Amino acid sequence: MKNMKKGLALLLAGIMVLGMTACGAKEETPAAAPEPAKTEAPAKAETPAPAATDAAAPADSAIPADVNGDGKITIGYISKNLVDPFHAPINAAAQEIFDQMKKDGKIDDWTGILDGETDPNKQIDRADECITKNCDMVIILPAEATASDPAVTKMADAGIHVIVVNSKTDSTDKVAVSYCGSDDVYAGELLAKWVIEQVPDGGKYAHCQGIIGNSAQIQRGEGLANTMKDHPEFESVGDFPCDWAADKAANVATDMMNKYGDDLKAIICDNDDMSSAAQRACNDAGRKDIVCVGVDGNQKPLEMVKAGEMGATVLQDGVGQVKAAVSVIDAIIAGQSFEKENIVPFVLVTKDNVDQYLK
Amino acid sequence: MAVKEEKKVLGVDRDKFRMFMGKYGIGVVLFIMIIVISIMEPAFRSAKNFINVATQVSINGMISYGMCLVITTGGIDLSVGAQLALVSCILGQFITNFGVNPFLACLIALLASTAFGFLNGFFVARFNMFPFVVTLSTQLIIRGLAQVISGGNAIPLTSETFQHIYSSKVGPIPLPIVILFVVTVIVYIMLHWTKFGRYIFAVGGNVHAAIASGVSEFWTKVGAYTISGLLAGIAGIIFTAKTSSAQSNIGIGYETDAVAACVLGGTSFAGGVATIPGVVMGIFIIGFIYNGMNLIGIESYYQSMTKGAVIIGAVLLDMVLNRKKG
Amino acid sequence: MEKKEDYILECEGISKAFGGTQALSNVQLHVRRGEVHALLGENGAGKSTLMKTIIGLYKADAGSITFEGKPYSVKGPVEAIAAGISMIHQELNPEPFLSIAESIFLKRENTVGGVLLNKKEQNRRAAEILNKFDFPYGPKTLMQELTLAQVQMIEIIKAVSCDAHLIIMDEPTSSLDSEETEHLFRTIRELKDKGVAIIYISHRMDEIFEICDRVSVFRDGTFVNSCNLGEVTKDELISMMVGRNVANVFPKTDCEIGETVFKVENLTGNGFENISFEVHKGEILGISGLVGSGRSETMRAIFGLDKIKSGSMYLDGKKITNKSPRAAIKKGICMVNEDRKEYGLCLFRSIRENISLPNLPARQRGLLINQKREKKECGEVAKMLTVKAASIEHDGFSLSGGNQQKVVIAKWFMANPKVLILDEPTRGVDVGAKAEIHSLMCEFAAKGMAVIMISSELPEVMGMSDRILIYHEGKLNGEVLREEIVSGVMGQEKILAKEFGGK
Repeated sequence: MKNMKKGLALLLAGIMVLGMTACGAKEETPAAAPEPAKTEAPAKAETPAPAATDAAAPADSAIPADVNGDGKITIGYISKNLVDPFHAPINAAAQEIFDQMKKDGKIDDWTGILDGETDPNKQIDRADECITKNCDMVIILPAEATASDPAVTKMADAGIHVIVVNSKTDSTDKVAVSYCGSDDVYAGELLAKWVIEQVPDGGKYAHCQGIIGNSAQIQRGEGLANTMKDHPEFESVGDFPCDWAADKAANVATDMMNKYGDDLKAIICDNDDMSSAAQRACNDAGRKDIVCVGVDGNQKPLEMVKAGEMGATVLQDGVGQVKAAVSVIDAIIAGQSFEKENIVPFVLVTKDNVDQYLK
Repeated sequence: MAVKEEKKVLGVDRDKFRMFMGKYGIGVVLFIMIIVISIMEPAFRSAKNFINVATQVSINGMISYGMCLVITTGGIDLSVGAQLALVSCILGQFITNFGVNPFLACLIALLASTAFGFLNGFFVARFNMFPFVVTLSTQLIIRGLAQVISGGNAIPLTSETFQHIYSSKVGPIPLPIVILFVVTVIVYIMLHWTKFGRYIFAVGGNVHAAIASGVSEFWTKVGAYTISGLLAGIAGIIFTAKTSSAQSNIGIGYETDAVAACVLGGTSFAGGVATIPGVVMGIFIIGFIYNGMNLIGIESYYQSMTKGAVIIGAVLLDMVLNRKKG
Repeated sequence: MEKKEDYILECEGISKAFGGTQALSNVQLHVRRGEVHALLGENGAGKSTLMKTIIGLYKADAGSITFEGKPYSVKGPVEAIAAGISMIHQELNPEPFLSIAESIFLKRENTVGGVLLNKKEQNRRAAEILNKFDFPYGPKTLMQELTLAQVQMIEIIKAVSCDAHLIIMDEPTSSLDSEETEHLFRTIRELKDKGVAIIYISHRMDEIFEICDRVSVFRDGTFVNSCNLGEVTKDELISMMVGRNVANVFPKTDCEIGETVFKVENLTGNGFENISFEVHKGEILGISGLVGSGRSETMRAIFGLDKIKSGSMYLDGKKITNKSPRAAIKKGICMVNEDRKEYGLCLFRSIRENISLPNLPARQRGLLINQKREKKECGEVAKMLTVKAASIEHDGFSLSGGNQQKVVIAKWFMANPKVLILDEPTRGVDVGAKAEIHSLMCEFAAKGMAVIMISSELPEVMGMSDRILIYHEGKLNGEVLREEIVSGVMGQEKILAKEFGGK
């Protein structure tokens, strides 16, 4: 099936490319024939797969799985994007899990990974498509807290069970059936605590921010500020918007070393792409003593921790988050109760426990 | 130049075939696409889905019309994506932070984007600079300005009046479709029924001949870029109403889809050739590519490839049909 | 026997046709070793075509070329240079950012292992050659710092450094001042002494007599005669160049010539100086002169395409200025440009749109174009001008050259101007269309327009004009009236003599 779809994609391209009207249509018809046949089947006979829906009553928070009553369970998955290293393994995990669920007959269909292009506008368009496709449950990883919110509310209004993953949108608590993510405020606190531990005497530190307005950026900064508030021995030299970009953080590192010299003790980053780049810049300048730390647990920072080039990084278990969302879906299908909020904890990774997380 | 020999294609006079395909070739592609996707995915056929797609393409549609005018003069406008961000930030700042009436704020935002469009045209026409260079630079300036205005923050737009620009309906038709329709009609009339439209074709087709026929190259180009700015502004308003959030990082790469829609619609990069109905079809082809492939469940990784292949294929088709001779 | 060895280049029976036009028919050219051989003929006599055939840009349809006693056949300038023939083109296109050394050795660079440039060796060799010619700049100087004459010198040096035995110079002095010309002549004499043969193409009779040894005259793509310059006079050469019967195939009708419509006084601009003339209602004013003599430049400036440095223009007695063609058209001065490709049509737009382009402001209904009226009027004009197309909705691309020209004329006919300037209206147009365009001009004049026509074809100018102005090197050099032509007082020879600067 998967191959057939790939084939169809290419075929579709082929038709347009050649503008071969007649023969294109001829090849298309037989290939597509099984599809409508399949859609007619469930209308007649109740499919065995969503058998659990009949027993949808027992637990308190249990809700029906087949919201639109078309006799099929369809899952939607709106990614944040397909390109960044944090989201790639999450998407890959989702792909594997849902393909398997479909094979096992647990669900009837799923949309595949829909590309959100880190663009709230596109995410709203993808939400439209999930509604059109009669999805019963949709997992969404929002690109923006406010701007992606219409995607969530739109689907919720259409009766879809929306499971928000990774970061919340404004009305997630109100309209989504569940949120599976991590507490970014806690991550910010972890960052601060690590630095306080490493530099007991205190000193100056710089803060490299993600794209301003992203909820992860806001909340991690909040956790950081909350903790540092109680430690007057630390002085912030500024919050620098680095758009999650490693090279910009490295520039901040070199600039701040120039400006503050030995007084600069730490660089705290909203993600660890930035912290690893900042650390490398410090190390290259002979300032291995500067403590750089960030959030995510991407491959490269973990390797640096293992090699002793960087002290620590805070791991966000993205795959764990999406797996939590899947277990919510499982629970809904099984008619069981589930948690409204599933917090997947952050982990401080140091040389001692890095082997556990490094693939 | 000798008199051309008549050649036959599929038993039809070559010239007539070319004229027919030049006008309707892309419609054939669109039609096949709709048929194929409908067969593969029944959900695609619903009226609701078509309304969805039309609403979705309204943003790219506005941008594409402006882009079409600019490309037809022989230029390009890379600043449209940044214009979306600027308009969005102005709206956020004025409506949410200053409490200005939403319609007045829209007017201010449109003025700003139109002014930047004018600036693009001015630099291109007055100093004969490459449009690519000019708009590449103003794009940075405009986005920078958006960042300054918003302070880099996302400003939520809670004004319901404003959100209604996207969500309200005229009968069963969402407002963005109505706006798209009205703008389509206006742009169509302007390009095909007024002398300004003719001048755009002439300047793009052969600038020396146009000048020698008394056409003002300056005002024609300035006009095209200014309108592109205005239309990008309208697109920005719809975008902002849709996401109900103002931020400076939106609209990145939106010029690509606009250029793609123009090119699919038979707009020649050499300038001087374009039709608005063609661009409309181009816009919908782009919309259906996204929508159709998602509904069918084609993996996103292959969607990008397919989109690229469709555009190259359509342009190739266009070139074969309108082959340069002599 | 001995004579045979004398020739470095022998062309025999060369013919070449472009489409239906016979550019060369059965021509010959014999050039001796170490001589400067002039080529003379009117515009379009076939000189350039023959030269381009020799350096391999064109392939002759018939005939043979022998170079240095051996059969010679090349596929392009590069092979020609390798064989020993270099051509210095009239319009030089130096690469501004190359050094002199790089220019001289362009396409035959000194390399190490075939890839890397050996700049040191190249500069050394260039310096050596430059020294030989007493060139005032070193090999590393950039081409953009040189004057036109020096660029030309570099071209000559390049030709010599390629070991050329025959150098073709196409109007080498057209952009040189007298001192630079003198320098060029010195170089030519030195080359001659070294046994290099030179083919020298020029319109300047005096120069030909000064520097050349022999001359070959061409006319209408045929070879007329070759002779030693010591044995002929200027007048004899001119009559050789003209030598055809001017049959009256022109449909010129006499119409009433009214008051002065347009007048220029002491107009000076790029390429022309102190031009004064006037043109009347119903008059066809012919402008004759060699290419580059300033005729087109004057008209372009009047039409607002180029700048005017000084002088004034009067339309209907009122002083006017034309900053742009837009202004000129508004006042009723229109121009059909000689460069049809550049200034003529928007080829990808329909015939209708092309015709109506300058005429839209007058055909609006409110903000919109009155399409019904546009369609009707354009159709009428196209029909009247016998534009041959299936419909006026076809694009300009589908038309032949003559029909494209008719469309250009049609748009001005529709504009109904007071003064219509036609620059080479029948160039590249087939015979039938030519005659139609000529009749149109008469109709325009009959309608009361003032028509100004530039043409390089003397018979056309003489056959169509009420009055002829003759240009020579940017200045007016005489005026000829129709009566003088009809009565035979002024023949083609006399007009041509004036074009060449004679009185």
